[in-house]
Amino acid sequence: MNKEEFIQGCQRLRNTQDYRLSKHILSGIKGYRVKSDSKLPVLWLETSDSGDNNISFMNTTYPYLGQVFEDMIDLLYSNTFMAAQGKHALDILKRITRYQKGEFVLVVEGAIPTKANGLYNIVIETQRERITALEAVKWLGGLAKYVVTIGTCASFGGPSAAKPNITGGVAVSEVLDREVIKVSGCPVNAEWFVGTLAHLLMYGKPELDELGRPTSFYGYTIHRHCQRRSYFDRGNFAQALGDIECMFSQGCVGPKTYADCPYRQWINENWPIEANTPCIGCTNPDFPDGSSPFFTPLPEKRQEDNKKREGQKDE
Amino acid sequence: MSRKKIIFSPVTRLSGILSVKVTIDDNRVVDADASSTMFRGFEWIMKDRQITDAVYMTQRVCGICSLAHGATGSYLLDELYGNQISENAQYLRNIMYGADFLQNHIRQIYFFSLPDYVKMPNQPPFHGQNLLDARLSPRDNQRLVDNYFKSIKAGQQSHQILALFGGKAPHQHSFVHGGVAVAPTVDKINTALALLAQVKEFVSETMLPDVKLISRVYSDYFKIGVTPRRLLSFGLWRFGENNEKYLWKGRALNGNRLTEVDINLINEGIVNSWFEGEADNIYNGKLEPEPLKESAYSWVKTVKYQGEQFETGPLARLIINRLYKGGTSTMDRIMARAIETLLITELMEEWLSKLKPSNKAPIIQNKVPIKEQVIATTDAMRGGLLHSTKIRDEEVLKYNIITPTVWNFSPKDDYGNLGPVENAMVGTEIPYPGDLYTILGRIIRSFDPCMSCATHVLDVAGNIKDKVVF
Repeated sequence: MNKEEFIQGCQRLRNTQDYRLSKHILSGIKGYRVKSDSKLPVLWLETSDSGDNNISFMNTTYPYLGQVFEDMIDLLYSNTFMAAQGKHALDILKRITRYQKGEFVLVVEGAIPTKANGLYNIVIETQRERITALEAVKWLGGLAKYVVTIGTCASFGGPSAAKPNITGGVAVSEVLDREVIKVSGCPVNAEWFVGTLAHLLMYGKPELDELGRPTSFYGYTIHRHCQRRSYFDRGNFAQALGDIECMFSQGCVGPKTYADCPYRQWINENWPIEANTPCIGCTNPDFPDGSSPFFTPLPEKRQEDNKKREGQKDE
Repeated sequence: MSRKKIIFSPVTRLSGILSVKVTIDDNRVVDADASSTMFRGFEWIMKDRQITDAVYMTQRVCGICSLAHGATGSYLLDELYGNQISENAQYLRNIMYGADFLQNHIRQIYFFSLPDYVKMPNQPPFHGQNLLDARLSPRDNQRLVDNYFKSIKAGQQSHQILALFGGKAPHQHSFVHGGVAVAPTVDKINTALALLAQVKEFVSETMLPDVKLISRVYSDYFKIGVTPRRLLSFGLWRFGENNEKYLWKGRALNGNRLTEVDINLINEGIVNSWFEGEADNIYNGKLEPEPLKESAYSWVKTVKYQGEQFETGPLARLIINRLYKGGTSTMDRIMARAIETLLITELMEEWLSKLKPSNKAPIIQNKVPIKEQVIATTDAMRGGLLHSTKIRDEEVLKYNIITPTVWNFSPKDDYGNLGPVENAMVGTEIPYPGDLYTILGRIIRSFDPCMSCATHVLDVAGNIKDKVVF
């Protein structure tokens, strides 16, 4: 499979079995692996996050998780999966930084707390030192071939940096002086992430939008391809959650949210608007503060936000 | 081995970040600090938000048990708004919640616990395993390695059931206050039944036999990691128009004394936690994080029931509901988790058959709150979970969460009394220094720690007690 075919596969506006991206990834990777032995060396660092992106990653289908491990990546370090523990895990980390410098992909899951020198998040402790998320991401980020942020916390701060942000949480890109490939979402959709890894393995860096996200998955708004778009166009709005009409009246932020959920779906089954609830814009740089109150219509959310901002000025 | 302090960090294969510090004297653990080293501050994040944001926001506390927070948030909002929940909505809610339990337990047992007992292939992510105490025969070992990879699909299918009804997983959308926003259509029910049949087959034919095998071969772990018999559950699987009926009862078990849970008997302390503030200040919501507090070692607070630390989780639930007879050891905790998984698949089958197919979503949300402060409890995958809130004009004045891991990973109290995990570790014999991580890791993971959950938070005091007793 060539790169153009792969990208087209990523952007298909269909969600029937035959058109699922996941199947494209698998056949692409199989073809690639015939020619090349190499897998993507991945070092996965967990920082200030709920671990939801790891769980979503486990939900990947075609390739299933076992196939990702077998055919796509060497997951060299991962707090969630690695069998090694304690000092042995730290030793593995140190070995990678010594012998695989400039080769590995650093995946960061979580925002980076910066207040109190980052002490709100210590990732590893030894007798001599406490390594904070801030130190770890700077150290490893400087040695990686690519830095990929998984989820909205790592990509933009997300819930971990939501107001009033007492830990001073920031996006990974705020503390690294290099390009970061941002695969946002709360959580990430497994296909966005596995698709990005597949692209890195087979064709290198994917095309990114101005926010640093792969355009194959974040190229259009939810609104553009929403199955309920005709209701919106006719002004036919839902009266309550559970209705089958347009969710704009229920707080939907689909018009300002870039993601392909309407045809990508979640675990091949469903997505929030098909579940008769609003899109809350979880891939956005301003999530969750820019989306809340979640059930207030978009124009009023903005008004309320402005009111609050003015209120703060008065104080 | 002379007296020696050892830091076990990172404790991998769990949700979140954990360090453990132990003192070893004469080959025995004589002291232990369970140290949670991540703080996110959801209590502060919830403040000033619209209260109806609680379900979606608090799900972001945790990835592996996100619906536990969504469910508790929904129960809390139901009571605040006086919502009446239909029977169909309750079946649907419990089916969705059950699916998240299956996902959690299957992944905990295979991804997190199994590599404590099974020699994994020497390739990423299993390289550097260092499992010296590997006792399975090569044939059994290979079978369990194969089953690790088989479990991937069962975990994924469990979450597929949740996404089918919930729109996505983790962080589902339809289980909200007032009911469920998705209609239980015939095709959805059939899809769920088909997926559940496959998960159930995996659990009964593969997972339970695997866990039984491990429990036979490592039977000494029925005597290792034993905690005092103080067990707590808030109850699970709610029914009734006002969420008032529980299928599995919540109780406190202290020794042989079983009592109803009285929320007023819960209190929290911060002597070993990175927080500053006086009891009265906690009441006024003025507790502040203090990462530089020298004497502290954890972001988790010391939580107690009737002045004592309690263990919570599948084992506590099953013993309290007389569904498991046994002790409070490492292997009992793992066995209870596996048995509970099977019980839940059976319950879900029953609920799916009782669910009435319909094209209308079973949800009615009242628009005006009838109360200003509410406490909601339920059991989550790891045990008792509590949300409480105080609001004004639908805006949050205070929102508190006590997660199960706060109970289990409670640090020492003012008198040096150990939390459950610390208690389970102290007294353990470490015959060879090379087995230290293995033995401690087995004990710790049997509690299914979720440090993502434990470390946001949180104090209960404000809404529950007039005076906080430390």
